[in-house]
Amino acid sequence: MDNFLDPVFLLEIFEHLIKYVPITLGLAVGTMIMSCLLALMVTILRYKKVPILGKIGDIYVLLGRALPSMILIYLAFFGIPVLLMAVSGTNKSAMLLSGIPPIAFAALGLTLHTGAYLAEIFRGALQSVNVGQTEAELSIGMTWNQAFFRIILPQAAVFATPMMANQFLNLLKGTSIAFMISVIELFGAANVLASNNNAYLEVYIVTACLYWSTSICFEKLASVLEYNLSYFKRCTSK
Amino acid sequence: MIKLENFHKSFGSTEVLKGVSIEVPTGSVTVILGPSGSGKTTLLRSINFLEPADKGTMILDDKVFDMAAASKKEILEVRRNTAMVFQNYNLFANMTALENVKEGLVLVQKMGRYEALIKAEYYLEKVGMINREHFYPVQLSGGQQQRVGIARALALNPKVILFDEPTSALDPELVGEVLEIMKKIAKEENSTMIVVTHEIGFARDVADQVIFMEGGVVVETGEPRDIIENPKEERTRKFLARFSNR
Ligand SMILES: Nc1ncnc2c1ncn2[C@@H]1O[C@H](COP(=O)(O)OP(=O)(O)OP(=O)(O)O)[C@@H](O)[C@H]1O
Ligand SMILES: [Mg+2]
Repeated sequence: MDNFLDPVFLLEIFEHLIKYVPITLGLAVGTMIMSCLLALMVTILRYKKVPILGKIGDIYVLLGRALPSMILIYLAFFGIPVLLMAVSGTNKSAMLLSGIPPIAFAALGLTLHTGAYLAEIFRGALQSVNVGQTEAELSIGMTWNQAFFRIILPQAAVFATPMMANQFLNLLKGTSIAFMISVIELFGAANVLASNNNAYLEVYIVTACLYWSTSICFEKLASVLEYNLSYFKRCTSK
Repeated sequence: MIKLENFHKSFGSTEVLKGVSIEVPTGSVTVILGPSGSGKTTLLRSINFLEPADKGTMILDDKVFDMAAASKKEILEVRRNTAMVFQNYNLFANMTALENVKEGLVLVQKMGRYEALIKAEYYLEKVGMINREHFYPVQLSGGQQQRVGIARALALNPKVILFDEPTSALDPELVGEVLEIMKKIAKEENSTMIVVTHEIGFARDVADQVIFMEGGVVVETGEPRDIIENPKEERTRKFLARFSNR
């Protein structure tokens, strides 16, 4: 490379790498959706102090936040086949599993990681809504579930949105470790491209720009979402 | 008619209700007076199982409930026939005034949307809040929020409405508007009301019956004039003296 940061070369890198943005995005968004469902379930079990399951939820939240996400991905990738083999006692299930792409294991590992953080975010958000409103619902004969989903959750969501957005950006960057189990997403593709062309600086500059611009989009999206969810906090009437 | 018999309730080792029995005839207003910590809030909250009593029987019209052994179904039944007005209003913050009132009509009483709207607006009109029906609680003053809270309770046409110090969180200049509304509904709606309050004037003007509670027991019960003007019990006299001095 004689011309340092040659624009044409940068553009070529860009054109190659942008194809991997959807993979990174898909992994991040898919993981986020699964994490939210997992976290919501765990949060309700803990909030209602369901016997045993609530405690399991507590332990999960502790572990999920204590372990590096990379270890969770490795555990999912290497552990699940072994576990299934041990349970079924045959190789059949392992064969079945080999049909599953590594990206699914990456999503699982990242979900376990992100779900634990989200569960903590949700717990805090629920505490921000005063219990009097639940009592008001119960006092007129609503069920606990009605009170939770109609009154508490919509208000907690406003509180949680900025922190969830934060967690999502973390996750977006966190998808890069899926490379460790051979998932070729944005960072993985960048690594390959960089070493093939021996152009580390250029490739990583372009990669950084791609992560950055994606993040900006989501940050904007989150603030629009927060604005729309908080309609009842604004001091103008409908 | 609502009748409580021998209500007991302890928090840990402290007994807060020590066998409370009261009877409130249909369509009448009962005011409960008593010093702080005497168990007034706990009594109201045990009626609708927000704080289940350890022991006691409740008769609501013709139904008898064992408060310590009520099934989920019975609890729902009691709650659907009672309503509560809270000290801190407890309006649903994510709903407008109108939606707050409609909530129970649509979800609990399964009323049609249109019917519920008409009814909710009728009661918002009654409490003078119809011009603010599309406002969210943050956009309303405390007095306005409490009036919506009263409309929310009234609209359900409950057998009994429980008021727990409905004006004590309000700025002094807002107390009057809420008391006025309560007087008005006592007259016009023929609702059965149990009101915990420190507003002696309200008790004197509106109550059919005044109950004085202290230390988890009913000390004295009677017509407002008898209790407020010449109480028989020393403890009642002492409590009321604090108000006449003001
Ligand atoms: N959830 C609870 N846990 C433990 N103790 C409680 C609880 N709720 C009330 N108590 C205690 O029960 C007693 C009676 O309380 P309660 O709120 O019924 O009194 P009150 O007559 O409503 O007083 P106030 O006029 O101050 O509202 C108090 O000593 C209070 O500390
Ligand atoms: Mg009280």
